[in-house]
Amino acid sequence: MFKLLSLTLALLVTLVCAPLARAAEARQTVEILHAALLEAMKGGAELGYEGRRKQLAPVLNEVFDFQTISRLVTGRHWAGMSEAQREEFVDVFAQLSAATYAENFDAFGGEKFETRASEKKKNAEVVRTVLLAPDGDEVSLNYLLAEQGEAWRIVNVIAEGVSDISLKRTEYAAVIGREGVGGLIAKLRAKVASYESKKP
Amino acid sequence: MHQKSKFHAMAALLAAGLVTGCASAPEGNGDSNDPMEGMNRKFYNFNDALDRNFFEPVARGYVKVTPDPVRSGVSRFFNNASYLNVIANDLLQGKPTQLAQDTGRFVVNSTVGVGGLFDPATKLGMPEHDEDLGQTLGTYGVGEGAYLVMPMMGPNSLRDLPGTAASVLLNPINYLSFPITFPLGALAAINTRANLLEASSIRDQAALDPYTFVREAYRQQREFKIYDGNPPNDDFEEYFESEADAAILKIY
Repeated sequence: MFKLLSLTLALLVTLVCAPLARAAEARQTVEILHAALLEAMKGGAELGYEGRRKQLAPVLNEVFDFQTISRLVTGRHWAGMSEAQREEFVDVFAQLSAATYAENFDAFGGEKFETRASEKKKNAEVVRTVLLAPDGDEVSLNYLLAEQGEAWRIVNVIAEGVSDISLKRTEYAAVIGREGVGGLIAKLRAKVASYESKKP
Repeated sequence: MHQKSKFHAMAALLAAGLVTGCASAPEGNGDSNDPMEGMNRKFYNFNDALDRNFFEPVARGYVKVTPDPVRSGVSRFFNNASYLNVIANDLLQGKPTQLAQDTGRFVVNSTVGVGGLFDPATKLGMPEHDEDLGQTLGTYGVGEGAYLVMPMMGPNSLRDLPGTAASVLLNPINYLSFPITFPLGALAAINTRANLLEASSIRDQAALDPYTFVREAYRQQREFKIYDGNPPNDDFEEYFESEADAAILKIY
């Protein structure tokens, strides 16, 4: 009897705590993100843009390593940025990510995410997934994760072969070249504002 | 627009590549493979103005007056008409299974599918593939060559340029008489632009520097296609190999 009880308890604890525990495996981190995106999609119009953004932001902060991503997207310019500028950049970059996800994952039409594979690449791990549309169309979404202590966090997303970091790094370099880091940060802020002003 | 189209919009944007965006001065960039950036940006801006003032409004009007199922049929028709190009490149790349599937697909959809308006082939196990001469040259080991923007055309590269010509030559529509080819060609252009409306709005929303955004997305997407979705380095290791980035990772 006791055995059964403790087994049940153990099982319950595992079930309840699993999503809260820091993901021990890279694929778990990705799956936490996907679950949150599905939730936002299903909440859709009812949640509204602001509702989806509020719901997604804390999850994104947990699963993405915005600090490392910020270093990588600013490339050689990171070294020349002041501590205050860096903090500001990481902050606005995280805001923009939440805004972009909230804007684009806004309705549910029977899509699902599927994890296909997970493989070690040096000190990182690649998790290969697809977004499946009900008609069978697939969008390839691959994630690169790095280990931080006990947890794996996402440092890059590759959608249909297009690396988010490569794309942004080149684009940001062009903006920094013309307008400096301050100009880039201002542009990112304006983007966040444009998402907000579009929606009620 | 519905959800599905939004996710595919990104892929479509990258695939067909829109040549639009706002004016900005060139900036030297080591690995962007864009020695003709000055000229490219001029053509990009020209195309963008033309798009915003003509093609985009026309495409929006077309979407407004045309029911969805009709538009899908039109898209399938033009896809099918351009399919000989895919078959030829299956052959050139030595992909026998795909060659058989695509040949069957073209025959079935051209006949049972009423000239390509419908797509019974997918349900019969003959899925659509995406091949072109640029990809074939890529599999032969030809380098991408300089990035290229030309008037009235999407993003291109020296390696992809011959494929642009080949796709025209292998499209039966272009061999019909002018009174048929011209309106069909116009419809094809409007249809293509209409299918990219969602994609262009994502670009307008997401891009800080649209010219660079489109160029990088195009270059990466081409690489992805050449390897049929499995590029060898996937851009994964790049960040963990260079010394600077290795140092970044040690900060943890």
